[in-house]
Amino acid sequence: MVSGINKRFGGVRALRDVNLEVRAGEVHALLGENGAGKSTLIKILSGVHALDSGTIEIVGRPVEFDSPAKSREAGIAVVYQDLSLVESLSVADNLLLGREPRARFGFVRQRELIAKAEAFLNELGIPLDTRAAVGSLPFAYRQMTEIAKALMGEVRLLILDEPTSSLTSDEVRILFDAIGKATRRGVGVIYVTHRLNEVFEISQRVTVLRDGANAGTFVTAETDMKRLVNAIVGTDRSAPTGPRTEPAAKRELDPSPVLSLSDVSNDRLRAVDLSVLKGEIHGLAGLIGSGRTEILETVFGLRPLDSGAIQIEGRRWLPRGPADAIEQGIALVPEDRHVQGLVLDHSIERNVTLPRIPHFSRWGWMQQRAAARRAETAVARLSVKAPDAFSLVRTLSGGNQQKVVFGKWNDPRPRVLLLDEPTVGVDVGAREEIYAVIRNAVRDGSGVLVVSSDLVELIELCDRISVIVNGRVARTLSRGEIDDAEELHHLLQMYQASGPGHLQELPA
Amino acid sequence: MTELTAPNVVAASTRSDRRRQILQNLLRGERPYMLYIAFVILLVVFSLSSPWFLSVDNFLNIGRQTTLVSIIAVGMTFVIIARQIDLSVASTLALSGMAAALAMSQINNSWVVGAVAGLGTGALVGLLNGILTTQLSIPSFLVTLGSLSMARGLAMMVTNTKPVIITNETYFAIFGEGTFLGIPVPIAWTLAAMIVGILLLHYNVFGRRIYAVGGNPTAALYSGINTKRITTAAFVLTGTLAGLAALVLSARSHAARPDVVQGMELDVIAAVILGGCSLFGGRGYILGTLFGSLIIGTLNNGLVLLGVSSPMQLVIKGAIIVAAVAFTKR
Repeated sequence: MVSGINKRFGGVRALRDVNLEVRAGEVHALLGENGAGKSTLIKILSGVHALDSGTIEIVGRPVEFDSPAKSREAGIAVVYQDLSLVESLSVADNLLLGREPRARFGFVRQRELIAKAEAFLNELGIPLDTRAAVGSLPFAYRQMTEIAKALMGEVRLLILDEPTSSLTSDEVRILFDAIGKATRRGVGVIYVTHRLNEVFEISQRVTVLRDGANAGTFVTAETDMKRLVNAIVGTDRSAPTGPRTEPAAKRELDPSPVLSLSDVSNDRLRAVDLSVLKGEIHGLAGLIGSGRTEILETVFGLRPLDSGAIQIEGRRWLPRGPADAIEQGIALVPEDRHVQGLVLDHSIERNVTLPRIPHFSRWGWMQQRAAARRAETAVARLSVKAPDAFSLVRTLSGGNQQKVVFGKWNDPRPRVLLLDEPTVGVDVGAREEIYAVIRNAVRDGSGVLVVSSDLVELIELCDRISVIVNGRVARTLSRGEIDDAEELHHLLQMYQASGPGHLQELPA
Repeated sequence: MTELTAPNVVAASTRSDRRRQILQNLLRGERPYMLYIAFVILLVVFSLSSPWFLSVDNFLNIGRQTTLVSIIAVGMTFVIIARQIDLSVASTLALSGMAAALAMSQINNSWVVGAVAGLGTGALVGLLNGILTTQLSIPSFLVTLGSLSMARGLAMMVTNTKPVIITNETYFAIFGEGTFLGIPVPIAWTLAAMIVGILLLHYNVFGRRIYAVGGNPTAALYSGINTKRITTAAFVLTGTLAGLAALVLSARSHAARPDVVQGMELDVIAAVILGGCSLFGGRGYILGTLFGSLIIGTLNNGLVLLGVSSPMQLVIKGAIIVAAVAFTKR
């Protein structure tokens, strides 16, 4: 159906001669890492982006479209991750949104509308209450509504973009049933996912994209997980980023833990055991949604503990909230600096002093000079590029904004420094500076727990790395056990693919 | 600002830096100068068109007329910077006034009792507004819409809508009719509220936290700030100041009436927004609020002197407020 697609964004070739064929009634899985080109391909098929060269054919006829509406007309329907339903309206209202049967003066024929919706759902064989408000439905049923809505009208190709990322296993079952019903009507399905086990469960064939090009198409029944992982990761790939320092040699660490979690469980974590030693950088590796961030949030008091214990320098402590955590000497550089880390419309000085306002006051009155001096020191020490400490944070570049977030926690040194994706959206120069800040903190005796999706970064920084899968620590690696990002990547994929259970038997 | 390539040269905080900092604190706003220019234009226009406008007596008049709005607007500035709104202030004023007058008539006719009862009632309404908003996560618009109605209803219920006469001369002198250092006391109280507001907002830890909570509640929470307590405190401050305004009003009229100042919350909010506060939180300053309130007061006064009919006054006032906000915003 799709052949020889090319797409460029400026100087970057996002897609290079990509071919993809989906047969009627087939579920065709589309795999690849983030940035491999899956989203670009989907956007081209759905008419969001135009293609540079190549052809798209539907049932043998070449088609061209320059808008989502045209793509839809050609019979391609897309179900996105973030649902496009109106939660306060009923299922029937949503299905026929914008095409309601009307009486005179724009009044809606309510009975006809419900009858139409019910007839359609019956035909599809999807059991949904058409009168229920979408917002009151469990997530899987909302997704089914979304699929039903996508299938309204003449649809030949249905594209599902990571439909199971927020579903429970029972809900996945319901969703798979709905997909099966669509394929039985002769609809071809492109199924984008990160979960390899689902590929084997639902798809007939698999296409893997790597770096914007085809990395192989397989008949699902004739391949195995190992081969798919190899195709996704690539076997001959060198380190993805430019020159970086060699990982430092294994260091001798003070064996006393500053932070330890034993058997910690809550809504997202399952019996997490973890320790961070004084002066150690401890990495958390895992896929998005594995519970990495939730471990940091739990330690920082943002997520209540159901069971288990946390100890700070050997003393048992139950976090009651961020203020309590800060009191204990715990600091968090959160994942989203714009939403969680900074007040963008305020000055560097205001942001830097925020977690420790009482330290810059006497009897409740601000010591403006002390606060200003503190901010100026932070600006100088972290080499934040800004005219002065009173510049608005909004005017700084991403890397400098991130340095300001670090500046909130730099002085005095925290006992435990929690870092969530510390270098996302930060350019190479600032990245090295941030690494230096982290290493300085460790040298002064802080313990660091760092979450990162950049595996090269983890290997370079960390003394130990814990692999997090489905809310638990699957394995903890010491420096030297793995010194290659690719190997670590393989390991993550294998753990994720094999799911919970028999974890320790896998090879390193 | 674009490229920032210069190495960070951080000057030592000299005295002139310090002065600039204070100025910035006081004048912070989107386009602060527009506000003062607007005020001056208003003064010039009215001076040219009415011979009675430009006199000390008339300015004292304006000061006295804007007292209630100005005092409450100080508190409202905190509430709006914290991303909230308080619609209940006028009703709170009425209820506090009744509480003060009744307490005096029941207990020794003592002005202290009256003052404590009035301020306490205002603080209590503010506390309830704050607790409902933060603990039950009900938008403050709805919470205070409810308390607007409830406080007014209570104020009418306690005496079956009859006014309560006040006879304490000391009370009149302190809150309504005396002078302090030659300034009529209502204006002195306004200035006191302003100064306390400036100190709290620009020099106190509380102010820092208010700005942070309004500027980015999530970042404030992640920085260990008890956002609920800070938000509640802003409501308590506003309620207490509504109580103070009730003392001033009742001392001036020698009585507390349950039906006073209906709809005044809109003037208060208009003054704060006119003064450069952002309804989206995190931005605003007390001096701006004072000028916002003065602009509204001057408009009221000048239009009366020009003999504009009162329905027409409403139309002009509304139009000028919208225009002024449109100009002072980006």
